[in-house]
Amino acid sequence: MIDPYYTIAVIALMALITFALRALPFVASRWLQSHPVVRRLGRFLPLAIMTLLLLHTLVGSAREHATGPWPELVCAGLAAALQWRSRNPLLSILAGTGLYVLLRNLGAN
Amino acid sequence: MTDRSNLPPTHPVPSPSVLALTAPVAMGYIPLGAVFGFLFVQAGGHWSLAWLSSLLVYAGAAQYMMIPMLAAGMPVAAIALATLVINLRHVFYGLSLLERLPRGRLVRAYMAFALTDETYSILTTLPASTPARQMALLALLNHGWWMLGTALGALIGSQARLTLAGLDFVLAALFAVLTVEQWRSRRNATPVWVALAAYALAYPIAPQHALVLAIALSLAAGFWLAEKSHADD
Repeated sequence: MIDPYYTIAVIALMALITFALRALPFVASRWLQSHPVVRRLGRFLPLAIMTLLLLHTLVGSAREHATGPWPELVCAGLAAALQWRSRNPLLSILAGTGLYVLLRNLGAN
Repeated sequence: MTDRSNLPPTHPVPSPSVLALTAPVAMGYIPLGAVFGFLFVQAGGHWSLAWLSSLLVYAGAAQYMMIPMLAAGMPVAAIALATLVINLRHVFYGLSLLERLPRGRLVRAYMAFALTDETYSILTTLPASTPARQMALLALLNHGWWMLGTALGALIGSQARLTLAGLDFVLAALFAVLTVEQWRSRRNATPVWVALAAYALAYPIAPQHALVLAIALSLAAGFWLAEKSHADD
């Protein structure tokens, strides 16, 4: 059992941070829009960070078993390709995760 | 002449019904929320807290991320930092909606809170004449689907124990989806190459902190590129 007080503290903090990020443009729009550097960062950062999060998660999964990073690459590739073609996040996520669960449980872990 | 009496009365812009807009989100949020509730309970969290995080945090990727971190008893500060990184993209969402969101303080605050990837992408496609109440209802319904899914998943998860290796790959798959969508809206390969190079540089130095280090490197590169293109203008 995870400690409920610890969990509540984490939830409260995550809620605050997420709301602050989503509300920032409404509060500080003038400041954000008056800085061209911020606008250019807005075009650069989200994709860079998402690529890093994906990469880091894949590396983390691959380190949990000894078969090399192939299941991770195949399944993330499948999810990405499906999303590119179908624009249906549910399909892409379930197919990618489903195949990964299959590969990990059928293959030699 | 054609019989004009069959045509609907003239509307300035026919705004699509809220139900038609929210249905595809429900199809995604209920099962994906259920996966969150299920994994949260399976990891040893209380079902009511799974639901509480869907009520208050309402951010899929960050919520998936919190499960292994909570289970490992990570420091609160580390989880806060991860949340900041994962949700940083939202800072750039609101900017394009400033003029369109309802004016009322409470509604506006709720809309900002509820600006998930899906709600954001639907709101950007709505005609400018869409009534505030319709936008708020759409955001509220989407939030409701996510909480409904979480409750269902947590309920199932507290009934049965299922040890399937690899279910947590759902976070990686969600990141893959979000990366594709960021790519679709920008189609600029530079951020991808910078990210890959930064990670390749950071990983051998500090495998445990490769993500934070690589983000810092990318941020520095992003500032440098932004300044450079500013100077070129």
